[in-house]
Amino acid sequence: MKDTPSPATSQLPPADAPPAAAAGGPAARRPREKRARRTVLLADRIADRVITVGGILVIVAVLGILVFLVTETLPLFRSGQMTGERRYTLPEPAGQTLGLGLDEYKTLAYALSADGRLQVFHARSGRLLTSGRLDLGSAPVTAQAHTIDRTQWAFGFADGTVRFADARFETTILSPQDLPTGLTPLGDGDATDGHAVFSAIPGDQYRQVTFRMELEAPVAVGDAQRAIAAMAYTASGQAERSVRTLATVDGDDRVALIQTASRTNLMTGERRTTVNRIQLPPLPAPIEVFGVRLTAKADTLLVADRSGAVFRYNLTDLQHPVLAESARVMPPRARLTAFDFLLGSRSLLVAGSNGALALYFLLERNDFRTVDGQSLVQARTFTAGGTAVHFFAPSLRDKSFATIDGTGRLEVRHGTSRKQLADFPTGLPLEGFRELVLAPRVDGVMALQADGRVVFYEFDVPHPETTFATLFQKVWYEGYAEPGYTWQSSAATDDYEAKLSLVPLIFGSFKAAFYSMLFAVPIAILGAVYTSEFVHRRLRGVIKPTMEMMASLPSVVLGFVAALVLAPVVETWIAAVLLAFVGLPLALMLGAYLWQLLPLHLANRLKGIPKFALMLLSVLLAAWATRALGPFFEELFFHGDFRAWLNGDVGGAAPFLFLLLLPLCALAVSILQQRFLAGLRQRPAGGLEALPRALGELGLWLLRAALTFLLAAGLAHLLAALGADARGGLVGTYVQRNTLVVGFAMGFAVIPIIYTIAEDALNAVPEHLRAASLGCGATLWQTALYVVLPTAASGVFSAVMIGMGRAVGETMIVVMAAGNTPILDWNIFNGLRALSATIAVELPEAVKDGTLYRVLFLAGLVLFAMTFVINTVAEIVRQRFRRRATQL
Amino acid sequence: MPDTPQVSPDPPDTVYHPMTGAEGSIIEIERFNLWYGDKQALFDNSIDIQMGLVTALIGPSGCGKSTLLRSLNRMNDLIDGLRLGGAIRLDGADIYHRDIDVIGLRKRMGMVFQKPNPFPMSIADNVTYPIKVDGVRDRRVLQETVERALKAAALWEEVKDRLRDSALGLSGGQQQRLCIARAIAADPDVLLMDEPCSALDPLATAKIEDLIDELRGRYTIVIVTHNMQQAARVSDNTAFMYLGRIVEYGKTKTVFTTPRSRRTEDYVTGRFG
Repeated sequence: MKDTPSPATSQLPPADAPPAAAAGGPAARRPREKRARRTVLLADRIADRVITVGGILVIVAVLGILVFLVTETLPLFRSGQMTGERRYTLPEPAGQTLGLGLDEYKTLAYALSADGRLQVFHARSGRLLTSGRLDLGSAPVTAQAHTIDRTQWAFGFADGTVRFADARFETTILSPQDLPTGLTPLGDGDATDGHAVFSAIPGDQYRQVTFRMELEAPVAVGDAQRAIAAMAYTASGQAERSVRTLATVDGDDRVALIQTASRTNLMTGERRTTVNRIQLPPLPAPIEVFGVRLTAKADTLLVADRSGAVFRYNLTDLQHPVLAESARVMPPRARLTAFDFLLGSRSLLVAGSNGALALYFLLERNDFRTVDGQSLVQARTFTAGGTAVHFFAPSLRDKSFATIDGTGRLEVRHGTSRKQLADFPTGLPLEGFRELVLAPRVDGVMALQADGRVVFYEFDVPHPETTFATLFQKVWYEGYAEPGYTWQSSAATDDYEAKLSLVPLIFGSFKAAFYSMLFAVPIAILGAVYTSEFVHRRLRGVIKPTMEMMASLPSVVLGFVAALVLAPVVETWIAAVLLAFVGLPLALMLGAYLWQLLPLHLANRLKGIPKFALMLLSVLLAAWATRALGPFFEELFFHGDFRAWLNGDVGGAAPFLFLLLLPLCALAVSILQQRFLAGLRQRPAGGLEALPRALGELGLWLLRAALTFLLAAGLAHLLAALGADARGGLVGTYVQRNTLVVGFAMGFAVIPIIYTIAEDALNAVPEHLRAASLGCGATLWQTALYVVLPTAASGVFSAVMIGMGRAVGETMIVVMAAGNTPILDWNIFNGLRALSATIAVELPEAVKDGTLYRVLFLAGLVLFAMTFVINTVAEIVRQRFRRRATQL
Repeated sequence: MPDTPQVSPDPPDTVYHPMTGAEGSIIEIERFNLWYGDKQALFDNSIDIQMGLVTALIGPSGCGKSTLLRSLNRMNDLIDGLRLGGAIRLDGADIYHRDIDVIGLRKRMGMVFQKPNPFPMSIADNVTYPIKVDGVRDRRVLQETVERALKAAALWEEVKDRLRDSALGLSGGQQQRLCIARAIAADPDVLLMDEPCSALDPLATAKIEDLIDELRGRYTIVIVTHNMQQAARVSDNTAFMYLGRIVEYGKTKTVFTTPRSRRTEDYVTGRFG
């Protein structure tokens, strides 16, 4: 391409220069001028440039897409970045701190001391806005508890009473004209009127954030003599009809569950509270209580001892609460230093004085020896810095949590991915810390010291839950019995955790491709052999374009036909469909042998259209026969109910193994016969003995078929006796939208492309090889099998690979017919979820730049890589084929 | 198969003076006519091919000699719109009879083509191909066949150490001798050669000609050639064809020295062709 502007062009003299001038001496013979016309050269040069630019643009476009996909997915693997660090000291020392809170936008924070002092301050500047005092009464506070979002608090007192408090940030959006005048600027675009903080937000609006804390009257929940030592608190229901559950441990280690139900009369505004106290079974030994935690549904209560023993109450049946389990979460001599639930209260995080930091799940399994069959199981550990972790603040959004360790280092980690999101050495002594809070959006963390010093870090972690491991390796999600590959991007609850393993999707793509190739490859290649080797050229001229037209059928049409028509039909006639896999080939082969019985002159006369029609007829007959025999076959093989058989309810393993072994045994028998009984086949010689020979071959074939059946049956029973069973592996539970249906539909979609390329490859085999083979006395079939197919093998292989690339990337058929269940299961009667289908289905729901959004882009990148590798292999093989073909 | 068309009433004006073999004729071509669609390619061809002799078909390009050769083992069958008249008999049986088994017929007639066309397999596999398609799997028989056929084709000494190598690695002349070995591996009665030396250099040509000489007597050989010296050197009988007709069929020496037909004389003396 580059050389196209030929040397002649550059040496071309200007058009107006006299030709003779170049010739030199006067005596010289006039040199002949032959040159290309200027317009031709110009057109040539323009074409060269346009083609070059076009080609480069195509490459740039493909690379651009690749770069775009990579840049969209890279943030998934990034860890956090600090965006701000603030340190200030509150005017009044915090002393014994009861609570610390931060609003969603990191504008307002509050600190509550044990003496009731409440300081509300601007989070970024530390400027005090309001300072008040809650009247906590005369008895000292001995315990506090709050819901995970820190909006509902409960304080326990030495006199055995409890006071509930409601702490809320209120956010209103204001337009500029509603903005009060005379605001004091706070920096960072914030301003205050001394009470609320006003922040400018995009769209020329202002956000007003205020804080309000209301304390309710004391409720007596236990003996007045016994101080409440520890508490756990969950609340549910709406404001006017709330149910609060409180678990208390008093000084005598007595554990009680207190339910208070409040009802506000809408007419009178009167509020009635009923208190229901349930005494729980006593603890087995006196303990030094470290903490009490109640799950959000209040069905499990955990009481932790400082020594690392955890006592678990099962509160599912409130009439009969049981102490279900006493577990140790710490090695001997280590002491518990932190203990809390993560969001969703299904994962328990514990930390010990030995520096251990571990996550426990409450699991239910058959092999647990506890009263209720559940047990606390250590799911994963974190590498702490060697020093004990003392403070612990869970996130409101995901499984992240913040900790402070012995050196005063503040870390934020994700509980599932174990990714370290932030790591801030505060340089402050551990003993001084009183409270730690993680910003609701997991973008800031604030710690308070006893002397009023506050450290507040802001950071940015776009995707805390994804690492390479969560995307491609086994992950143990909470509530699951064991680590696994799980894809579940959304759920009905707020505290769910998105499970984004790409492995089931990659598996699904390959499963769909595998089964559709299993269906498509034999048909497409045999079809290609048939049209290229056996059919009259004129018929081929009709068949090939027809097959190519099949490729133009939109896959969405194939998908919905598969899902709405084929799937119910296959479900109804599943036994007949299975029988057809055996019946159709048998019928065709029987037909071929019967054809041999025809006298040669008849066979010669009928070999065109009538033969083709007879083949079709035998296929139709076989289809009819399998349909008619279907129920009988189901009765014989599967106890009359295939789906019950699949579930393992009825029947034995042998019948299905027999079906599976049939093709293998047929192959084995034919190889054995060729090896050892070749003499049985007479050398075909003359014309007159055609009939006896055909009869002999038919008999031999019948013998072989019988032998195959016997061998398969024998092997199947042997394997079944040895305990082999296809159920649970290759076959299993039947669902209507299953891989068999996908195999049919997608097979139909890829047959044309495999057929076309394979047919071209077979046709490219030089005619002289066919002539040589036929001249040797080989039949057409022998020629095709021994000469044409091996010569075109790499072309046929690349056809299969290109078909496979298409099957892996195919979308609409798998969206509609595959059931979209992201499971790792080879069962052909179960569904699957492919990468492409996932992208198509979930991208509309994914928030732009969210984790799911980027993971879907990653899925696209993986899909791109897969089809790229498959197509490249196909192309390399084809290049080799082309080089070899030139030798012929 | 089309019905036998009416043979043209003109008696063929062919001049006959062939050499007769000791065992008589093996192939009898009798008033054989052939049409490609509407175009007639062969007119009333009638010759007897003598068993064990080498028969050469010569004539200018397009005269129908290859067509006639390919009619002998029905390699023309696949061509569209082919119609035939007259008869070709192998050992007295009409090879175009409706009861004839074409595959069996071809097994009796080995064929060597213009361009060497070994299969893209090993040398040994090329040679054993014709007997493998017959169902022979006995390794001993296969080995014996390889050796016998390659020795008969005078290739054994050159390739005996690399029988497992690809046949495509051989030189053109070697490839053509391999094709001859393949053609005789199944022990046919007749060996058909369609300009076997046209793609070879003179040295390779000489070797093939020597080989044909050696095979004389063991096989009946029909060879098409456009090289008259070659025909003169290797054949016993020569048929000169012109425009689809056999002009003269007779002893090679006579055809080349004292042809009895004017046209033959013109051709062999190089006045046209």
